[in-house]
Amino acid sequence: MQRTSLFLALMALLAAPAMAQAQTEANVPASLFQSIGKKGGTLTLSLVSSPQSFNYFAVLDNNSYTVLNNVFDRLITLDPLTNKLYPDLAESWSMTPDGRTATLKLRKGVKWSDGQAFDADDVMFTLDDLASNTGLKANQSALFRIGKEPLKFTKVDQYTVKVTAPKPYGAMLQVLTFVPILPQHKLAKYNPVKDPDAFSKAWTTNTPLTDIVGTGPYVLSKYTVDQKVALVRNPYSWRRDPAGNVLPYMDKLEYLIIKSPDAQIASFRAGQLDSAPISGSQFPDLKRQELGGAKFRVIRGVGLNNPPVHLAFNQDARDANLKKAFSEVKFRQALAYAVNRPRIVDTVFNGLASNPGFGVAPVSEWFNPLTKTMLSEFDLKKAATRLDALGYRDTNGDGVRNFSGGGPNVEFSLLHAADSSIMPGIATIIQSDFGKIGIKVNLQGVTGSTVLPTAMAGNFEAALGSFGDQPDPQLRKDIWQPGGALNYWHRAAQPAHEGDTPNLSAMQPYEKQIYALFAQAEASGEQKKRKQWYDQWQLLFARNVPVIMIAKPDSVAAFQARIGNFYVKDNAVITSNYTMYEK
Amino acid sequence: MIPTLLIISLVCFAVIKLQPGSFFDQYRDDPRVTKAQIDAYNHRYALDQPNVVQYLIWLKNILFHGDLGYSFANDRPVTSMIGERLGWTVFLSVLTLLVSWLLAVPLGIYTALGQAAFSNPRKTLGDRVAIGANYLMNFFGYISMAIPDFLVALLLVGWLLAHHKTNVGGLFSPEFIDAPWSWAKVKDLLSHLWVPMIAIGLEGVAGLMRQMRASMLDVINQDYVRTARAKGLAPRTVLWRHAVRNAVNPLISLAGLSLPSLISGTIVASIVLNLPTIGPFLYDSLINKDQFVSMALLMFSALLLLLGNLLADLALASVDPRVRFE
Repeated sequence: MQRTSLFLALMALLAAPAMAQAQTEANVPASLFQSIGKKGGTLTLSLVSSPQSFNYFAVLDNNSYTVLNNVFDRLITLDPLTNKLYPDLAESWSMTPDGRTATLKLRKGVKWSDGQAFDADDVMFTLDDLASNTGLKANQSALFRIGKEPLKFTKVDQYTVKVTAPKPYGAMLQVLTFVPILPQHKLAKYNPVKDPDAFSKAWTTNTPLTDIVGTGPYVLSKYTVDQKVALVRNPYSWRRDPAGNVLPYMDKLEYLIIKSPDAQIASFRAGQLDSAPISGSQFPDLKRQELGGAKFRVIRGVGLNNPPVHLAFNQDARDANLKKAFSEVKFRQALAYAVNRPRIVDTVFNGLASNPGFGVAPVSEWFNPLTKTMLSEFDLKKAATRLDALGYRDTNGDGVRNFSGGGPNVEFSLLHAADSSIMPGIATIIQSDFGKIGIKVNLQGVTGSTVLPTAMAGNFEAALGSFGDQPDPQLRKDIWQPGGALNYWHRAAQPAHEGDTPNLSAMQPYEKQIYALFAQAEASGEQKKRKQWYDQWQLLFARNVPVIMIAKPDSVAAFQARIGNFYVKDNAVITSNYTMYEK
Repeated sequence: MIPTLLIISLVCFAVIKLQPGSFFDQYRDDPRVTKAQIDAYNHRYALDQPNVVQYLIWLKNILFHGDLGYSFANDRPVTSMIGERLGWTVFLSVLTLLVSWLLAVPLGIYTALGQAAFSNPRKTLGDRVAIGANYLMNFFGYISMAIPDFLVALLLVGWLLAHHKTNVGGLFSPEFIDAPWSWAKVKDLLSHLWVPMIAIGLEGVAGLMRQMRASMLDVINQDYVRTARAKGLAPRTVLWRHAVRNAVNPLISLAGLSLPSLISGTIVASIVLNLPTIGPFLYDSLINKDQFVSMALLMFSALLLLLGNLLADLALASVDPRVRFE
C-alpha cells in the first residue's frame, strides 16, 4: 500500500512538468479563432513586388514587412476585434500612476528559430540600437520622442524591461506595437550604432536565409528572385491555440510575387492563391462568382486603418482671394454641403465605403460618438444660399460666382492622384456638383506618388488626400495637430525647423485649441482624460472643417472556401497567417 | 562606340533627372523618416549635388572602379541585382526570338510565293488553296500586329480561366518554383511557356513575316532569279540559294536591332503574365527613381543595341559577300 502510494507520488512528480506543458494556455487573442484548426498544409499568399531587403529597420518597403511580420514578433500587439493591447513577447505590463514608467515582463522560454534563448538583451538591442537609431532608414525614433526628448529603455533583469518617458506619455504602450524585436546575437556584430551603413547591408535579399532568425510563427526557407518567398513553421514557435495546440497550423507559408492586380485575381481564381488582396471595384464581380458556385468566399468588414479620403483647401494659397476664402470656416462649411457623399460611395466605391470619422475611425474606442451625425448632408440649395450670404455671387452673369466686390471668378484646381482607382471618380463628382453651385473646379490629376509631396510643398489650391487612421490619435498628431509636418493645408502654422514650436500666431483660434488639446493628451497618462480631450478635438474638427471628410473604404477580402479562421466578426475582418488552416 | 555610349549615357541621365526629386524624397510623406534623415541620405549618395557633378561621379565610378552604383531600394550593388534576374530574361527572349524567326521566315517565303498563284490566269485547285492560305495568313498577320502583346496575354489568361486551367501566369506552378530540376518541373515549365510564347512571340511573327514577304517579292522578280530559272536550276535551288539568301539580308539587320528588347521589350506583358524578367525591374526602378538601377539597365540596353548592330554587320558580311567588299 505504502509502496504504491509512493510510486504514485513519484509518477505524479515526474508527470507534473509534462502535464504543465500540455496544458499551456492560449497565448494569442481568442478572437482569431472561429474554430480550432488542424495542423498541416501550405498557405499561399501574394506579394505585389519582391521584398527589397530582409533587414526590417534598413528598408521602407511594405513587401518586406509583409514577409518579415511572420518572422518577428512585437512586444505588444493589438486584438484584431477590439483593437486593444494584447500581450505578445511581453507577457504582462504595469504602468506607474504618474503615467511615466511602464514595466514589461517578457515571456519566458521563448527561443529564436536557431535555438538561442530570447531575453531582455534582444529587446534592449532592438529598442536602443535599431529602432531609436536615426542612421537607419526605417528607424522609429519619431515614435519614441515626446517633443524633443526620447523615451528611455532600461533592462531590469533578464526578463524585465522598463520604459521611462521624460513626461507622462499616453501612447507609450501603443508605440511598442510597431517595433519588431530582432536577435542581438545575430545582428550586434554589424555595429548598427557606429556603422549604420554597414548594418543596412546586412540581411539583404541575397543573404543565406538560415542567418535570419526570428521568434515568430514562421522562418524564411527559400527566396526565388521575383517569383516566390517560401517560409516554414518555426520549430520553436511559442504560440498556442485555446486547445493547447502549437501554432501556426500550416506547415508552410508561401508568397508568390505577382505584380499585376489582375494577375493576382487570375491566380486566385485558378486556386493558386489562398487569399488575394482585392479592391472595392473587384468585389461585385467576385461576389457574383461566389454566388454562382465558385469555391471561394468574398467578405467585407469595416477596418480601422483604411484611409478615409478628404478634400483639403490650401489656406496659404498663392492667390490672395482663394487664400482668404479657404481660410474662412463658413466658406468651407458651405462647400461641405455640396459634397455628394452617397453618390461617391455608390458609384466610386461600389457601395463598399462608409462614413468617416473626424480624424478617428468610427470603430476605434477613441471615436467620439457625438460626431457621428456631424457630417454635412448633401444639399446644393443650402450650399448656394450660404455662398450667397457670404458675398460670393455671380456678378458678371457667366454662371460662375465671383469674389466679393466684383472680383474674379471663384475657380480653383483640384489636385488628385490620376492613377488611383477612386480619386479621379471622386474629383469628377466634386467638380460637377461644385459647378452646379457656381464654383469652377479644374481637375489636376498627377501620379499618385507625387500628390503628397506637391501638397506638402504648398503647390496646390485644393487637393484630395487620404491618411490611414490609427487606434490612438497621438499616433496621427503629425496630420491633425495644427503645425504638424503632414498638416499640409495650413503650412503657415508649421514651425520654421522641424521639432520646434509651431507658429502659433498663424493659427486660427480653433486651431490653437486643437493644438493645445493634442499637447495635453500627449503629456498625460490618464486614459480617461485623454479620451475627453480627443473627444473635444473631434468636435472642433467637425465644426470647423479644416478638411472635408468624404468616405472611408471598407475592408474587403477574398479567400478560398477550404481555408478556416478567415471570417467577419462584429464588422471586423479577422484573420492571421498562424491561425488559418485547411478545412 | 565609346563616344556613342557616352552621349547615350548623358541623355539617359538627363531624362532620369528631369523627374523632380530623388529616390529618398518619396519618404517625405512617411512619418517614420525625418526631413533631416532624408537630407542626410541625399547627401551620402551625392544626390544633393548639381546634376553635372552627379553624372561625373557616376561616370568616374564606372570607369575607374567598374562600379555601376547601388540600389537605394535594396541596399545592394546594382550588378548583383541584375545578375540574378538575367537568366530567365535571356532564356525567354532568346526563345521568343527563335520561335518568331522559325515561324516568320518560312511563312514570309510561303506567302510571297503564293503571290504567283494570283497571276496564274487559269487557277488550279492548288492555286486556289494557296490564295486562300495567303489571305488567311495575311489576315492573322495584320490582326496580331494590331493587338498589343499584353492584350493577347490578358485574353489568353481569360480563356484559360474560363476553361479551369491553372497555368495563368508565371513560368511554373507554385510548388515547382523553388523545386530542384526534374522531368516534372520541365513538363510544368512547358505547360506554362506556351502562353508567353504566343503573347510575346506572335507580335514579332507578324512583323517579321511581312518583312520577309516584302523582300522576297522584291527578289523573285529580279533578273538573276529569272536567269537562274532559265539556266534550268531546280526550283528548290533557285528558291534557297538565289532568292532567300538575298531576301534575308534586311532581316539580319533587324535581328541586331531586336537585342535591346531583351530588357525593355516585354515590360507590360511580363507584368500581366507575371514573368520573372528584367523588364518590370527596370519599370520599378524608373518609378521609384532608383537612379543607378535605371541607369545601369538603360546603359545595358544601349550596349546591347550597339553590340546587336555589330553582330548583325558581321553576320551580314558572312551571308552576303557583297557587303564584305565595301
